[in-house]
Amino acid sequence: MAVAARTRPVGTRRLETAANAKVREALVGYAFVGIPLLYFVLFYLFPIGYAFYISFYDWGILGKLGYRGFGNYRELWHDQLFWTWPPKRGTAIWNTLYYTAIVVPAQMALGLALALAVNARIRARTFFRAAYYFPSLTSSAAITAIAIYILNADGLLNWALSKVGGHPVHTPWFGQSSTALESIMGLNIWTTSGTMMLFYLATLQSIPTDVYEAAAIDGTSRWRTFWKITFPLLKPGHFFVAVLSIIGCLKLFDQAFIVSGGKGGPAYSTETAVLYLYQTAIGDARWGYAATVGIVLFAIIFLFTLVQRLLFGKAEIGY
Amino acid sequence: MGEDRERAPHVASVVELARGEEPAVGTAIAPGIPGRGKRAVAGRVGLYALLAAIAAFYLLPFFWSVSTSFKTLPESVQGFVLIPHHPTLDGYREAFTTGPFGRYLLNSAIFAVSVTLTNVFLCTLGGYAFARLRFPLREPLFMLVLATLMIPDQMRLVPVFKLLADFPFFHWNMIATYQGYILIKLIYATNLFLMRQYFLTIPRDYEEAAKLDNAGFFKTYWRVMLPLAGPAIAAIVILSFQGTWDDFYWQLILLQDDSKFTLNVGIARFATAGGFGHDWPPLMAASTIAIAPVALIYVFFQRYFIAGVTTAGVKG
Repeated sequence: MAVAARTRPVGTRRLETAANAKVREALVGYAFVGIPLLYFVLFYLFPIGYAFYISFYDWGILGKLGYRGFGNYRELWHDQLFWTWPPKRGTAIWNTLYYTAIVVPAQMALGLALALAVNARIRARTFFRAAYYFPSLTSSAAITAIAIYILNADGLLNWALSKVGGHPVHTPWFGQSSTALESIMGLNIWTTSGTMMLFYLATLQSIPTDVYEAAAIDGTSRWRTFWKITFPLLKPGHFFVAVLSIIGCLKLFDQAFIVSGGKGGPAYSTETAVLYLYQTAIGDARWGYAATVGIVLFAIIFLFTLVQRLLFGKAEIGY
Repeated sequence: MGEDRERAPHVASVVELARGEEPAVGTAIAPGIPGRGKRAVAGRVGLYALLAAIAAFYLLPFFWSVSTSFKTLPESVQGFVLIPHHPTLDGYREAFTTGPFGRYLLNSAIFAVSVTLTNVFLCTLGGYAFARLRFPLREPLFMLVLATLMIPDQMRLVPVFKLLADFPFFHWNMIATYQGYILIKLIYATNLFLMRQYFLTIPRDYEEAAKLDNAGFFKTYWRVMLPLAGPAIAAIVILSFQGTWDDFYWQLILLQDDSKFTLNVGIARFATAGGFGHDWPPLMAASTIAIAPVALIYVFFQRYFIAGVTTAGVKG
């Protein structure tokens, strides 16, 4: 205001109204962002502290039963259903990490291949893009129901395998512990590869064309052009897609819940970290323990989210 | 813009995608060398065959599901029958009578529409304020909003559930209520972010004109800014609608009462109720109903879809 007073010789009255206008603008601003801010504080920030608070208590259906200190954390450390050392299948953490280790590279490779395909100068490019992306936007419950139908003992997949193999196949893909989690892997690689394709496509299209023109003039083969030029230039895309994919995998829940009826079976083969969280919270009403599971998951996911947001933060500048 | 884009590979080009323009395409230009013609044509045909095969692989399960929804139970397990021999609506009838999927459909619609409305109103208003109005701590507060994106829903399960089961001071129990679920989805931080970014790109001249007319801030927002924000609003409408319609996690956790079940929770219950011996036609009928609205929106508004999803960075 002082600056304005010096540079613009205006009357005091005018100054006052300018100051008033400024205060009014600020008040209106707070009013417009008030509900969102209240919402984010109440449902995002406060819950962090509240979760830590609950995690220090033995907290049942009827409320606080007593202070446990780090008791819940100690119990989780020794919880053979949550994790074991050495790693063992059938524990929530190792199932989740096993799932992540297979699905992330598969999603990335498939997403990149699809992106390259629909980025080529072809007819009906929009149709192909839309087709490949379609499974990504459907309800996870509906698509899991379709998968249960196709992968059941008398389903379409077994029918096709019977035709190819020449003898009847009746594998209950989701119904046996040796294939249940692997079937979810297949399902989710298929449904989410379209999302990865979109992100790769966006990165691909940020590569300037003159690089390729130079390569074309030099007579470089397509294969070589891809590995020597495209692939390295896609580096930001690789990072972004990898982190996105890892976080998504660590949060696996919907499909595991639906194929196992919320039980993580058969024989704990589809028990994931988030499903375990759900079971301890909603199933057993062990709220203190569940809060602890949530915090440990947060610590794991947070590391990856942080990386993603740092990359995303850079992307915001150009918007 | 060029320099920015190097640092910002994702969003910048995504916006161009969303506008329906084809940005610079990063593929090798087919070299017009004589004598290569035949091989190139063969390659083209092979490429189209491959792309079509993959497209079939991505879409077939959906056709299969729609097809089965019109079948009888025996026909649903008879190998590959894409066009039912005796098409029947019994699957749908059963879904709407034995499983009350009519009720679930209504609930899904109520939630998706309400959440879309709250998002459109609060995110455009908030986005306008964050983009244009000057008030102390504006930037730190906006950063705070963005920071909430790093808090996973998994960690929020227990505290948010407790919060809704016994709301502070008022002692409301909002588990299994419409308002409880809508409250959880009231505002998406990504939508607020999207609106703010969009308003920042609108030239200030428009508001200057309004200012000369002595219009207040709300009037400026309502009469000037909103009409200019069509594409961004379309993107957040789609993002909120799809995010709520497809949601399973919060619906399962919060709507613990049959009368509040959504299509997704209903399908999950139905799919697992009887182990693995199932009544497929009604299950596929329910799945078809759950997929159809988003599929239709996608067919008509594809570009906004892609803009929204890519900017948001995460799907569900």
